[in-house]
Amino acid sequence: MKRRYILTLLLFLLFIVEGTIVPLLIPGAWQTRIIPHLVYVVILFAAVYDHRYIGLMLGLAFGMLHDVVFYGVMVGVYSFSMGLSGYLMGLIFRSRHASIVVMMIVVLIGSILMDSMVFGIYSIFKIYTLPYTYALVDHIVPTMIVQLVFALAIYVPLRRQIEKLVKRRPKEETA
Amino acid sequence: MLELFKLLGNKRLFILLIGLILFVAVMGFTLGPRAGLTWPEKFIKDTVGFVQSVFYKPARAVAGFFEDIGNLRSLQEENKELKIMMAHYTREKPLLNSLQKQNDELKKNLNFTQYQLETNKTELAIVDVVSVNNDPANRTLVINRGSNDKVRKGLTVISDKGMVGVVSEVSNFTSTVKLLTSLDSRDINSAGIAVTAQGKEDTSFGIIEDYDQQSGTFIMTKIDHQKDKLAKGDTVVTSGAGGAFPKNMIIGTVVSRDPGTGLTDTARIKPAADFENWKSLFVVMTKEVPGQ
Repeated sequence: MKRRYILTLLLFLLFIVEGTIVPLLIPGAWQTRIIPHLVYVVILFAAVYDHRYIGLMLGLAFGMLHDVVFYGVMVGVYSFSMGLSGYLMGLIFRSRHASIVVMMIVVLIGSILMDSMVFGIYSIFKIYTLPYTYALVDHIVPTMIVQLVFALAIYVPLRRQIEKLVKRRPKEETA
Repeated sequence: MLELFKLLGNKRLFILLIGLILFVAVMGFTLGPRAGLTWPEKFIKDTVGFVQSVFYKPARAVAGFFEDIGNLRSLQEENKELKIMMAHYTREKPLLNSLQKQNDELKKNLNFTQYQLETNKTELAIVDVVSVNNDPANRTLVINRGSNDKVRKGLTVISDKGMVGVVSEVSNFTSTVKLLTSLDSRDINSAGIAVTAQGKEDTSFGIIEDYDQQSGTFIMTKIDHQKDKLAKGDTVVTSGAGGAFPKNMIIGTVVSRDPGTGLTDTARIKPAADFENWKSLFVVMTKEVPGQ
């Protein structure tokens, strides 16, 4: 059980890094076009290799954190889209033995799904008024590519950790 | 009808629907103007803001170091320019002082009220950027000053080059700044900025309501087609009309002026501040309007 808390803490650290260090690493002209949600990538891993409910809960919690900390217009946009898309990805692709190719496809689809949901909500409330095709080329696809690279980089260590977490659980539950 | 009950009996769908309704309610509730944040929100913002500031400062320092190495060559030129500027400044300072004194005396003779006298006196509070959110529909920054340092909702935030945004939410030790790039006339919550051209304050007036993301320029509307003297290359500053923003905050330079719809013109304005690589910013602390 301890491992789980440490993973959540690391996820929180990743959230901090996402808002502070990552924007400094991206070159100036691309800063408005690449908006990587590193936490969301890890949530996708958890939803696929662990359980969809884990994806849902982590998505809701860290989405809400993002909403409150970067409160500009309204609260709930990221919470809703991260939670629901994490859940859906877990529902469709959940498998303990998903290969790296499957996982990368999950990250690709998941990124587009979440950014499209955020776009949709902002469009409904008339906060973002540009057409979808523009948003797609402007930031959804570049963000997706960066998230894919990040997913590739963390694939091996993260999968090992989650597998350990899942293996240990039945013992702890019976004990 | 039976089908409908069966559908609702599906627990998963039921929870999804409830969740959807809840979230729409939360979004709708938080979308409009709010009096302030609730204490859980303040707590989360302050805690996360503190941790973020621990990370951002050293990272910014390292990034700044590499930037400085890159800038080494242009430094000498900049130094020369700054020296010239400094000379101008020292020459004009006595003049400014005497004019200020004269102005104050004249105002006193005209029996200005205390509030009128103090309304244009502004102080700058230096703040550090703690973290950045580049989400295109909702670009925000977190800064390390909050209501304990008398930062209020609606205050103007500037960089050394020009106006960058407005404080959107305040907690005790941190606040969120909504950037000017999210200005949008179709968004009910986004207020326009009354602007004028520097040096043509009496003959020029317009309103900036939109930021065009595709070209990276502000769109200034409602410029009088005949009387207005605004021209390409002018520096656009806030006019202070309406009282929402302080006077003489630099916004940008005019790139083009075109006939708009009807009797007014529109102009495109290139922002003076560059909205990237955030360092220190200034909050313009204006006097609180009585009765608010």
